[in-house]
Amino acid sequence: MKVKVAMVLRYVILVLGAIIMLMPFLWMVSTSLKTQPETVKIPPIWIPKQLQWANYVEAFKAAPFARYFLNSVLVTTITTAGQLFTSILAAFAFSRLNFYGKNIIFVIFLGTMMVPGEMLIIPNFVTLSKFHMIDTYWALIVPWLASFFTVFTLKQNFQSVPDQLYYAAKIDGASDWHFLWHVLVPISKSTITAVTVLQVIGSWNAFMWPLIVTNTENLRTLPVGLQAFTTDAGTNYALLMAASTFVILPMVILYIFLQKYIIAGISKTGLKG
Amino acid sequence: MEVTFKDVSLSYDGTREILHHLNFTIPEGTLVSILGPSGCGKSTTLMLISGLLAPTKGQIFFGDQDVTKQDALARKVGMVFQNYALYPHLTVLENIMFPLKMAKVKKEERREKALKLAKLVHVDDQLDKKPGALSGGQQQRVAIARALAKEPSLLLLDEPLSNLDARLRIEMRQEIRRIQQETGVTTIFVTHDQDEALHISDHIMVLNLGDIQQFSSAETLYDNPSNLFVAKFIGEPVINTLPITAFGHDLDGAVPAAILAKTQTVGIRPEALQDHPIDTGTLAQITTQVKAFEKYGREKNALVDYNGNELLSTEIQGRLENHQDLTLYLQKSGFYLFDEAGQRIFGGEQDVE
Repeated sequence: MKVKVAMVLRYVILVLGAIIMLMPFLWMVSTSLKTQPETVKIPPIWIPKQLQWANYVEAFKAAPFARYFLNSVLVTTITTAGQLFTSILAAFAFSRLNFYGKNIIFVIFLGTMMVPGEMLIIPNFVTLSKFHMIDTYWALIVPWLASFFTVFTLKQNFQSVPDQLYYAAKIDGASDWHFLWHVLVPISKSTITAVTVLQVIGSWNAFMWPLIVTNTENLRTLPVGLQAFTTDAGTNYALLMAASTFVILPMVILYIFLQKYIIAGISKTGLKG
Repeated sequence: MEVTFKDVSLSYDGTREILHHLNFTIPEGTLVSILGPSGCGKSTTLMLISGLLAPTKGQIFFGDQDVTKQDALARKVGMVFQNYALYPHLTVLENIMFPLKMAKVKKEERREKALKLAKLVHVDDQLDKKPGALSGGQQQRVAIARALAKEPSLLLLDEPLSNLDARLRIEMRQEIRRIQQETGVTTIFVTHDQDEALHISDHIMVLNLGDIQQFSSAETLYDNPSNLFVAKFIGEPVINTLPITAFGHDLDGAVPAAILAKTQTVGIRPEALQDHPIDTGTLAQITTQVKAFEKYGREKNALVDYNGNELLSTEIQGRLENHQDLTLYLQKSGFYLFDEAGQRIFGGEQDVE
C-alpha cells in the first residue's frame, strides 16, 4: 500500500512538472489557432471558439519563410558539421597527444567557458566587421565553427577510452588519424550525437547574433524572421505563434527521435569495462 | 623473426632507469616467456619490442635490421593485451579484419584470411557477435586471431591469461602453445606466473628490477638457478633458504672450505631433503626436530626446525610425530650455495653459462 502511494505521488509530481514544461508550447499552439481579438482576451481562453487554421497560411505568406528556412538549414548544417570536426580534432589532441603547453592551453580554453555569451557579441562583431564579413553568410557561420563546450565534453569521453585500445590500434597499423575516425569516434557515438543535437538546437534557435550581423532580408534565419509580425502598430500574436510553431517543429521532431542519445551522452562519464 | 637487444636501457624521466643494459637474443620460431614479479620491467620490455616505447639507450634488432628508430606501425608485430583491447563497436569478424583493413588488403581477401584465423582459434561460430557478448576465453581467442591477422613476424602476449579463471587459463595456455606451433611465429609471452611460463615456453627470461637474472630453458632454471633470486622465484613449493651460519660444522668435508668461506646463503629444494639415506646423491646429513607433519593424498610433508630455521621436506617416507628428532639427508641435486651478491657458487652444474 505504502509503495503504491509513493508511486502515485511520484507520478503526480512528474506529471505536474511535465505540464509546467509543456504549458508555453500548448499556449503557443492554442494562440496560433485564435482570432486576433481572442489572443488578448481577459480572462485568457485556452480553446478558441473556432480553430483558425488559416493563420498558418497567412503567417507563411507574411514573410519569405521558405528562404529563411533554407538559411536556417544551411547555417545550422555548416556550423554543426564544422564545429564537430574542429572539436573532435581538438578533443583528440587534448586527450591523447602530448605537446608543449597542453595543460596551459587547456586551462585558458576552459576559462573562456566562464565568459557569458553576450560579452562576446561586441568583440566578435568588431572582428568580423574588420574582415568585412558583416551581413554575409560568413558572419552567421564563422564564429560558431569552434566550441569549447563541445571540445570539453568530447575530451572527457575520449579520455575514458582505455589506453590499451590506442596501443592495440597502433599495433594493428592504424595511424592516429585512423584510430580517431575508425575507433574513437564510433565508440563515442552517443556523446557525439548528444553534442550534435544540442548544437543543432542552439544554432537553429539562435536569435541575437543573426539579428545583429544581418540586415539583408535574404540572409535572415527563421527566428529573426519572426520579427515580421512585430510592427510599430503592435504584435500580431496569432500569426507570430503560428509561425513559431512551424519554426520549432523540426527541432521538436529531432529531439523526440534522439532524446535517448542526448540523455545517455550527457549523463555518461565513461565507457563500460 | 629473431629479436636482439643490444645494451638496451630505458628511463622514463631521465634519472631513474627502469631497465638496465638488457642484452639478449630470442631465436626465431621459439616461444619465450618473460617472467618476473610485478614491476620488474617485463611489460616495459614487451613495449620496447613492439615499438610502443622507444629505448633511452641501446639498439633493438629484428633479424639483421636495426628497428630501434621504428615505431609500432612500422615494426609490424602482433600483440595481445591483458584486457584483450578488442574494438567494442566492431564484430568478431571485423575485429580480426581491422589490421588487414589498415594494411589496405582487398575486401574479399580480408574476409577470407579472417575466416581462416577464426577457424584456427575456434571462434568461427561467433563471427557476428560484438566482443561484449563473448566470454573472456573467447575474447582472448579473438584477440589472438587479430594479432595474427597481418602475419606478424612476432607475436607478443602481455599477461594474456591473467583475466581468466583457473581452468580456462590452463586450456588457453595449451591453445597458445598449439597456435604457436601451428603458425611457427616467434612468440614472446609476458607473465608473472611461473607455472604458466614453465608449461608454455621453450625458454624463459627471468627479470627482476630491470635486470635479466637468467635466460634459459625451464629445466635449467630449476636445476641450475644462477642466483638466489631465480632459485627463490622458480619452484613450488618455494626453496628453503637459510644462512650458512646455521649449519655450524655440518657441511665440513661435503663442500670445499674455500667455497664455504664465501657462502652467505644456502638454498635447499624441499625434495632434496630425504628422510632416508640415498647412496649416490647424499651430500651431508642434518639433525632436525619435526614441527608439523602433514599427509594428504600420496604427499607427505614435514616442516622441521633446524637450528632455529624452518625447513620444508616433501620427501618423507615414514610416519612422523611432532617434536621428534629427525635426520634428513641433503641431496646434491637441489642443494645450492650463494655468495654475498646472491650468485650461485656451489650446486647444480658448475659450468652452465
